[in-house]
Amino acid sequence: MSVIKRIFGLLWAAMGLGIIPLAVMRAMQEIAEKPSEENWIFWSIVIVVLMPIISFSLITFGIFALKGEYDTLAN
Amino acid sequence: MAQNVTNVAQVEEVSSTRRVIAASSVGTLIEWYDFYIFGTLAKIISEQFFPKDNPTAALLATLATFAAGFVIRPFGALFFGRLGDLIGRKYTFLVTLVIMGGSTFAIGLVPGYKTIGFAAPAIVFVLRLLQGLALGGEYGGAATYVAEHSPEGKRGFWTSFIQTTATLGLFLALGIILIVRQTLGIEVFNDWGWRIPFILSVFLVGISVFIRMKMSESPLFAKMKKEGKTSANPLAESFQKKDNLKMVLVALLGATAGQGVVWYTGQFYALSFLQNACNIEFVQSNIIISVALLIGTPFFIVFGALSDKIGRKYIMMAGMLIAVISYRPIYTIMYSDANLKTKEAIEDKTVIKVKNEVKGADSLITTVTTKEFTDGTKFKETVKKKFPVDAELKAAMPKDKLKPETKKEVTLPQDLFYKMIGLVLIQVLFVTMVYGPIAAFLVEIFPTRIRYTSMSLPYHIGNGVFGGLVPLISTRLVEFTRPAPGAPPADPLFGLWYPIIIAAVCFVIGMLYISNKTNNLDTE
Repeated sequence: MSVIKRIFGLLWAAMGLGIIPLAVMRAMQEIAEKPSEENWIFWSIVIVVLMPIISFSLITFGIFALKGEYDTLAN
Repeated sequence: MAQNVTNVAQVEEVSSTRRVIAASSVGTLIEWYDFYIFGTLAKIISEQFFPKDNPTAALLATLATFAAGFVIRPFGALFFGRLGDLIGRKYTFLVTLVIMGGSTFAIGLVPGYKTIGFAAPAIVFVLRLLQGLALGGEYGGAATYVAEHSPEGKRGFWTSFIQTTATLGLFLALGIILIVRQTLGIEVFNDWGWRIPFILSVFLVGISVFIRMKMSESPLFAKMKKEGKTSANPLAESFQKKDNLKMVLVALLGATAGQGVVWYTGQFYALSFLQNACNIEFVQSNIIISVALLIGTPFFIVFGALSDKIGRKYIMMAGMLIAVISYRPIYTIMYSDANLKTKEAIEDKTVIKVKNEVKGADSLITTVTTKEFTDGTKFKETVKKKFPVDAELKAAMPKDKLKPETKKEVTLPQDLFYKMIGLVLIQVLFVTMVYGPIAAFLVEIFPTRIRYTSMSLPYHIGNGVFGGLVPLISTRLVEFTRPAPGAPPADPLFGLWYPIIIAAVCFVIGMLYISNKTNNLDTE
């Protein structure tokens, strides 16, 4: 079980790393196509608020998992 | 004699615990009520406080303000959580209640955009931020306070009363709005009547503050303070020490993020979907949600109590998994039951009325079409076309300004109405599974000296940010499937992918990394 948790740790960290460029590229593409106020507000919230939280937490969590910090279940 | 003394002591203990739960729950319920009336009245608020030129931008601006209310919540959690771990639970969540009540009351008094211009949305925005801050501090305080009074083995049960408050707060908000709207009439309500639910808050908060003033400090915190064991820097201890940070992360990614999206989908997205995708009439859609919430609410307590017996993890995870699997089928049925394309209209019951009137320099043509269908569904479409009487002015106007304003209202027959309540109720049950045990789960994974700070942050990021953004992100995802502006979306259910993906990831993390064991609360 510990091995699975560590392998998944790699997956969480990779997801955390990959999600930011994907979101930024999509935002740039959409804003370039239609630079409306709605687009700016929406993508600002996603890029400035949501993505850093997802990214930071997934990367840190993934690293902890990879290092075996969660080999014993959290309780 | 000794038996009598024991009985009296037991009765006093039960009565004291009930007082603690009642006082904490009533205050938290009122805070949720305050927070939700803004969201529920988002459309009216956008018309009152944001420029009307572009209705979508106005609505989005309101949603953004709504999101700001959620995004700011983690900061409230940090600020008040720290205070709660330094000076005590009681005074901290008393302050949050006063801030929340004051801000809500003030929103009810702010003059509209027409009267004071840009100052109106700016003031409303600041007040909304204050609401978010206060809510960020309230929940963790109430959950911690009740948990620290609860006997071992009953923490899930006692804290589940706090868990009912968020749903009851929404129910109270919907109920009061409906009553005021029905009493005053739609026009008066849209004009100024919407302010009443905000102003009413000051009385509710006053009562709650009075009750809370009489409460004593949490026994665990009081003991710890007496022994000089409180944390000198709860923030640093919570988030800079690896042992605590890793618990914060697992609580967020393995529990609260999934709980947040399931919670907001079952309550808010369901309402938004009924009103915007299914075009269900305002009163009927609100009644559907209200009845489902009312029937579903006791299950918070059922699952909270059950978590004391079988553990917190599997109940929460089961709620997430069933939600992930069943959201699409549930919403498919909801959509098809209200879809007029699948229904047969009764020809001689179709009525079209056209009214032409001149208002100042403008001409207003209102076309009202009413239809009845063989299954008993009723449909009303109101199209308002406004343009200058002067032909030259009309020709000079941009096309989008001449676009008619269309409002569609579907009223379901009784059998489909009950079916819709059932479908929303199923979603509320998922909410009770993930949300009922979560307060007990969170308080048990953190030590008393930093509990308020540590549990508040993952809760408010999960619930506030991940959950609070469900309406904004899901609405936007549906927009992606619109082939052309103004055309109906190709997949009106596409918005569900946001909560489904978040809940699925959270389920995997929770299953892998969280224990099902319930812990005792320590005083370290």
